[in-house]
Amino acid sequence: MKKLKVILVLLVVLAVVMSASALFARGGKEPEPPEEKAAPAKTEEPAKKAPPPEQILIFGSSGDAVRLDPANVTDGESIQRMDNIFEGLVEYKKGSTEIQPALATSWEISEDGKEITFKLRRGVKFHDGTDFNADAVVFSFARQYDTGHPYHQFGEWAYWGYMFYDVEKMEKIDDYTVKLVLSNVNASIMTSLAMFTVNIVSPANAEKYGQDMFKHPSGTGPFKFVDWVKDDHITLEANENYWRARPKLDKLIFRVIPDASARLLALEVGEVMGIEYPNPADFDRIMANKDLKLLTEPGMNVGYMAMNSGYGYKDANKSGIRDPDEPLVKTPGYYEPLTKKKVRQAINYAIDKKSIVDNIYKGTASVAKNGMPPFMLGYNDDVEDYPYDPGKSKQLLAEAGYPDGFEVTLYVMPVSRPYMFDPPKIGEAIQSYLAAVGIKVKFYQIDWGTYLQETESGKHQMCLLGWTGDNGDPDNFMNVLYGPNATSIGAAGNYGFYTDEKAQELLTAALQTFDINKRAEYYKEVQEMIHESANWVYIAHSNQNVVFRTNVYGYSLHPTSRKFFYPVSIK
Amino acid sequence: MMRRFINNKSALFGLVILIILILSALMAGFIAPNSPTPSPPDLHNSLKPGFWSKDGIQGMPLGTDALGRCVLSRIIFGTRVSLSAGLVAVGIAMILGIMLGVIGGYFGGWVDSVIMRFVDIMFAFPALLLAIVIVAVIGHGLDKAMIAIGIVYTPQMARIIRSSVLYIKEMEYIEVQKAIGSSNLRIIFRHVIPNSIAPVIVYGTLMLATAILDCAALGFLGLGAQPPTPEWGAMLARSYSYIVSGAWWAATFPGLAILLSVLSLNLLGDGLRDTLDPRLKT
Repeated sequence: MKKLKVILVLLVVLAVVMSASALFARGGKEPEPPEEKAAPAKTEEPAKKAPPPEQILIFGSSGDAVRLDPANVTDGESIQRMDNIFEGLVEYKKGSTEIQPALATSWEISEDGKEITFKLRRGVKFHDGTDFNADAVVFSFARQYDTGHPYHQFGEWAYWGYMFYDVEKMEKIDDYTVKLVLSNVNASIMTSLAMFTVNIVSPANAEKYGQDMFKHPSGTGPFKFVDWVKDDHITLEANENYWRARPKLDKLIFRVIPDASARLLALEVGEVMGIEYPNPADFDRIMANKDLKLLTEPGMNVGYMAMNSGYGYKDANKSGIRDPDEPLVKTPGYYEPLTKKKVRQAINYAIDKKSIVDNIYKGTASVAKNGMPPFMLGYNDDVEDYPYDPGKSKQLLAEAGYPDGFEVTLYVMPVSRPYMFDPPKIGEAIQSYLAAVGIKVKFYQIDWGTYLQETESGKHQMCLLGWTGDNGDPDNFMNVLYGPNATSIGAAGNYGFYTDEKAQELLTAALQTFDINKRAEYYKEVQEMIHESANWVYIAHSNQNVVFRTNVYGYSLHPTSRKFFYPVSIK
Repeated sequence: MMRRFINNKSALFGLVILIILILSALMAGFIAPNSPTPSPPDLHNSLKPGFWSKDGIQGMPLGTDALGRCVLSRIIFGTRVSLSAGLVAVGIAMILGIMLGVIGGYFGGWVDSVIMRFVDIMFAFPALLLAIVIVAVIGHGLDKAMIAIGIVYTPQMARIIRSSVLYIKEMEYIEVQKAIGSSNLRIIFRHVIPNSIAPVIVYGTLMLATAILDCAALGFLGLGAQPPTPEWGAMLARSYSYIVSGAWWAATFPGLAILLSVLSLNLLGDGLRDTLDPRLKT
């Protein structure tokens, strides 16, 4: 009994201490002074001494890479590491999605638009010492589309299916000339070629490691791969022979810190020198700290809630398009109320998006009314968003035959993404808004991999998701996310299962049109149609935010959220 | 006996707290200043401090959480969720435990061996881990979490009741019953169970505390109560990331509520043991 009492006393003391420390943590002022002294001492003092110290930049990432093979990933964490290891034939200009030469020095497009001939850069070497040449380019492409290629079996090549299905083949003309042959005219192909998917990998390295190649990346980029400790860090070092010039950083380390608060604390004490995805609620604290700088700009993304309108098709021959013998069938998540346009519109009227953006995103996003960001070609600003109007919502529900509402399941993402930083909170807000018009929302949460599989198979009634643009082309939003061809059950990208055939005709026509104004008109019309059908509640276009310590220079945000550290230096 | 309990200060303290908790659970609707799940939500009230700050909102003494809901009201309604979850879980454990323990203890032999070896196997798993496995199989949700925790606690109950039964079935009054030809069922329900229930009550009180804690843990992991249910563990899980941003109240108060309820039940359970255990009599 006495022992127990001692334990109890200890417990109470612990509770008091904990709540007291929480009180102090509130302003964040108490622990700051020692940090301010410690951090500059670490970084600035040695910089004045004669032999320049190693420039090491440690970046705090929210998750680990999945694979380090550029053609075989879809996640941002893998991509941001490989952006510094690999390069493509063309690349994006700083801060935009316009392209400029990279490993190709020039190119020519044939008159019918179906053949593009590239002149390759000479004298470039891969990190493993082998030469970059036409064989490497053909290898990097052919392994993705050629099912008979010996390295085809080692990947899923998901992005090839999303973006490059119009590519027929890549041919070698001579050692430093290649020709890309398309099966259809594709207005977005040149910008797509700057994507990570078609970065050039070393064939010799692939031969050496076979199916383990993704653990030992070897490209032509400014940094070389050194080591990877799973869920801890990935180290890269400067490529002394980089064809432009050696990068200023000696080492670039990506450390994994999943918790946003822990990431910020690590940055404040100088353990890392930059972080991604800061919590919007911490912005005041970041702004008040003169050792930190916040880089922010509107992101090329959209976060939405999709409502499954009930029908998709089974892509029996895996062609990626709906053939005449592939009829529309009910999706597994078919739910009577959501098949009615009035119900979907009612849900749009019932949610106060502005309040969500102002108070949950804390103003780090803008309210979305269309499925792609406002600065892109073909954005339809004439679409009038559904205003927040619960009365109108109830009236529409009654007209649709549900005056007392209904119960519905909402898939809520378990992870923060650039387009939606805290899905459970947004889900809960939507839940409360819909409760006010009589719709009872049940949460469904499951791990991220399964979540994507189930939503791609149309098992959801409603789901939260979003998209970050890859190449700055409207097709990368409109066709991938809203095209009826993307309602294939099991591989859907169109999670609202919007199946209007006319929309697909317009989208396909748009992709094959080079006249910018005409293309824009097609996309605008489709946005109008999607707005009317209301399969999505577009919530927000999030800003992309990165925080660095003030002695890190030269980093600039890229609209695609990719992270290029080549120009960065530490002073 | 009553006096001994009253003289035990810490037990009395536990009882008082528990009574307060029970009252707030029963009358949550009257006590709570605001709705725990306002609809539509008042998002503009997000993360406002409470009475200690002049930025606070009138009528929300413990501040608001990220969705602008009154933390105090959610804690009060959360009492209802946590206490009833604990009670149901312990109830399930008691029913299953008494069944297994009495059958094993009373009949003995191979029946006893089978049941007790099964119970031993259950003991091999850490409690929370086993609960997570069960929830993973039967699905998420508060009701499922209660069942899972009930199953997890069954072996402990079964062992305790079995040891009492082993002792009681050798008593002379049981022999008398057997001699006059009473059926086993009658002996078990009229004599064995009523006489072996005392340790179960003490143990049940202590178990209630851990059941509440485990329920909160499942809620914290997102496997227990589903939103918007105001459950303490889930409240904690959704707010702790704001401690760094300065909004410490949204996570601290639900944590303190868990601490208080568990503490009060432990103190009460200890007090009851001191009172009921004849060996501790002075």
